[in-house]
Amino acid sequence: MNGEIIGEGLIKQFGNYTAVNGVSFKVNTGEVYGFLGPNGAGKSTTVAMLTTLALPSSGWATVGGHNVVTEAGEVRRIAGVALQEIGLDPIMKSMELLTIQGQLFGMSRREARDRAMELLTIVKLDEPGVMDRRVGKYSGGMRRRLDLALALVHRPRILFLDEPTTGLDPASRRDVWNEVRRLNREYGMTIFLTTQYLEEADELAERIAIIDKGQIAVEGKPEDLKAALGGESINLTFDTPDMALQAQDAVQAMADRTQLDRNVLRLYRPKAAEIVSPVVTALNDNGLRPSSLTLSAPTLDDVFLQVTGQRYEEDAGKGPVAETFTRRGKSSDKKAS
Amino acid sequence: MTTITQTKLTAIAVNESGRAERMPFIHQVSTMTARAFRNSLRVPFAIIPGILISIFFLFIYTGTLGDAAGFLPGLRGQSYLGFILPLSVLSAALSGSSLAGDGIVRDIENGYFDKLMLTPANRAALLLGHMISGAFLLVIQTGIVVSVAVLMGLEPATGIGGVLALMGMSLLLGTAFAGLPVGVALMSGSSAATSGASFLFFPLSFLTASFVPLNLLSGWIETAAYLNPVTYVIEAGRAILNTGWDGEVILRGFSSILLMAAIFFTFALVALRVRMKRK
Repeated sequence: MNGEIIGEGLIKQFGNYTAVNGVSFKVNTGEVYGFLGPNGAGKSTTVAMLTTLALPSSGWATVGGHNVVTEAGEVRRIAGVALQEIGLDPIMKSMELLTIQGQLFGMSRREARDRAMELLTIVKLDEPGVMDRRVGKYSGGMRRRLDLALALVHRPRILFLDEPTTGLDPASRRDVWNEVRRLNREYGMTIFLTTQYLEEADELAERIAIIDKGQIAVEGKPEDLKAALGGESINLTFDTPDMALQAQDAVQAMADRTQLDRNVLRLYRPKAAEIVSPVVTALNDNGLRPSSLTLSAPTLDDVFLQVTGQRYEEDAGKGPVAETFTRRGKSSDKKAS
Repeated sequence: MTTITQTKLTAIAVNESGRAERMPFIHQVSTMTARAFRNSLRVPFAIIPGILISIFFLFIYTGTLGDAAGFLPGLRGQSYLGFILPLSVLSAALSGSSLAGDGIVRDIENGYFDKLMLTPANRAALLLGHMISGAFLLVIQTGIVVSVAVLMGLEPATGIGGVLALMGMSLLLGTAFAGLPVGVALMSGSSAATSGASFLFFPLSFLTASFVPLNLLSGWIETAAYLNPVTYVIEAGRAILNTGWDGEVILRGFSSILLMAAIFFTFALVALRVRMKRK
C-alpha cells in the first residue's frame, strides 16, 4: 500500500507573513520522518497543509498518493492525525470519544466499541478507574495517549504526529516514543513526526529535515548529518567571549575546524581526545584558563548550528529549560515562554 | 503517470476492505445529537438557570401586575397568567437557544471540532447535533414552565391542544434564535462573543408588548413593537392561551418565527462556510 508523503514547493502565506517558504520532501512508505525545528519554524503549518486543515498558497502535496487539495476526503480516510493541540472534549469519557470517532469513520457502533477497547488497551488507559473518569480529569500524559488512540481509530497507514511529546514529563515521553516505534515496526505505518526536541528526532526518526524560518535547511539520516560534521569536538568554555576568541587564535591550527559561539569554543577533528593535552598546554602558554572542558560526539544541535548559523536553544524558546534528560538540555517547553 | 495508477489501485483497495465507507448522514446527525444531549445533562447548571428565570418571570409579573391587569382595557375578563406566560416561554426559548452555540464554541475552543473535521463526517451534522439537542432541551424547559403555570391556575382557552401548540412554537422559536449564537460561535470561535450574542435578543423581547396589550403602547415603543417580529409571536401565544384558535393571529405568529429563522439561519450558514473554508 502506498504510504508515501510527498511535498513539492509547499508555500503558505498568511497575509504578508510566509510561514512555510518552499518546502519539498519525500517520505517513503513505512518510514519515520522527523521534522525538526524551533517554534515558529513552520512545522505545524506544514502538517496542517498535509492533513487537509489548511490549503497551500502554492506547491502541492500528496499523502498516500492522494492530493491534499483535491482529494481531501481520501487523505482523511487513510491518515491519522494527532495535532499539537490535543483535541478532546473534557466532559466526555474515553470510550465515548473513541466510539464516536470510529462511527464517523464508517464503523458500526459495535465495531467502533470493539476498536475503542482495543485502542484503550494499547495506550494503557483501559483500567476501570480510568475509563470511568471524564477525560478532563486526565493527566497531560494520559490525554496525549488518548489523543494518539483517537488518531489511530480508523487504522491509518500514515500517521502525523505534531509535537507529540511537548509538555510531557520524561516517563510519558518514553511511553509515546515506544508507541511510535511499535506502530512503525508492527504495522509498517509511515510516521511524519514534528518535534522541537533534538533528542526526539535523533531517537525516533530514520531521516530528519531541519526546518528553520519556513525552509528545510538540511535533510538526511541523523547519523550521516552528524558524521558530515567531521569527528568529535572539544568544547571549551571561557569566562568571556573575548577570551574564547583569543583561545581560537591560539589553538586553531590543531583542529580541522573551529566554531566560536559566544564564550564557547569548539574544536572539531577525528579522535579529538588525542589533542586535549596539547590544547591545554597551548592555552596555558597564552594565559587562558577555560572554566570547563568537555569532549563530545557531534549532536543534532551541532548540525543545527552548522546549517542555520545559530545554536538551537537560541531559537527554541525563551522559557526555563524544562528538559531533564536531553543530553545537553537544549530545548525548552513551548508553553513555558 | 505511475502516481495516477497507484492512486486508482489504492482507491479500489480501500473500497474492497469490506467496511462501510461512510456513516449515513442521518446516523451521523443522531450520533452527534446524542452526544450533545448527554453533554448538556452532564453540565446541568447550563440549563437550570434558564428554567428558574422563566418561572421567576412568571411569579414576579403575575404577582406585581396580576391584580392591576383587570383595569387594563382589552384584558378585562382574561387571565393575566395566560397573558404573561408567552413572555415567560419566550425567555425560556432565548436561554435555550444559546445552548447550541455554547456547545459548538466549546468544541472549537477545546480543539475537538478540529478532531471531528479530520473525519469524513458531514460538516452540517457536526452543527445539527448541537442544534437538535438544544431544541430537545428547550421542549423540556418549556414543558416545566407551562406545568408551573398550570399549577398556578392557568386554564388555556384552547385546552391541551393549545399547550402543545405553545410548546411547538417555543421549539421553533428557540431553534430559529439558535441560528444567531451558532453563527457567532462559528465566526468567532470565542465563548465570550457567543454569550454576548444572546444579549442581542433582549431588545427583541422587551421592545414589544411585554406587559400590556399592543394597543396600549404609544410613541416610539409602539413603532418598535409593530416592527418587531417577536410581538406577533407573543400575540399568537396569548391568543392560544386566552382567546382561542384565532387563525389569523396564529398564522402571523408562526410566519414571524419563520422570518426570523430565515434571517438567523442564513447568517449561521454563511458563518459555517467561513469556518469550514480551508485557509
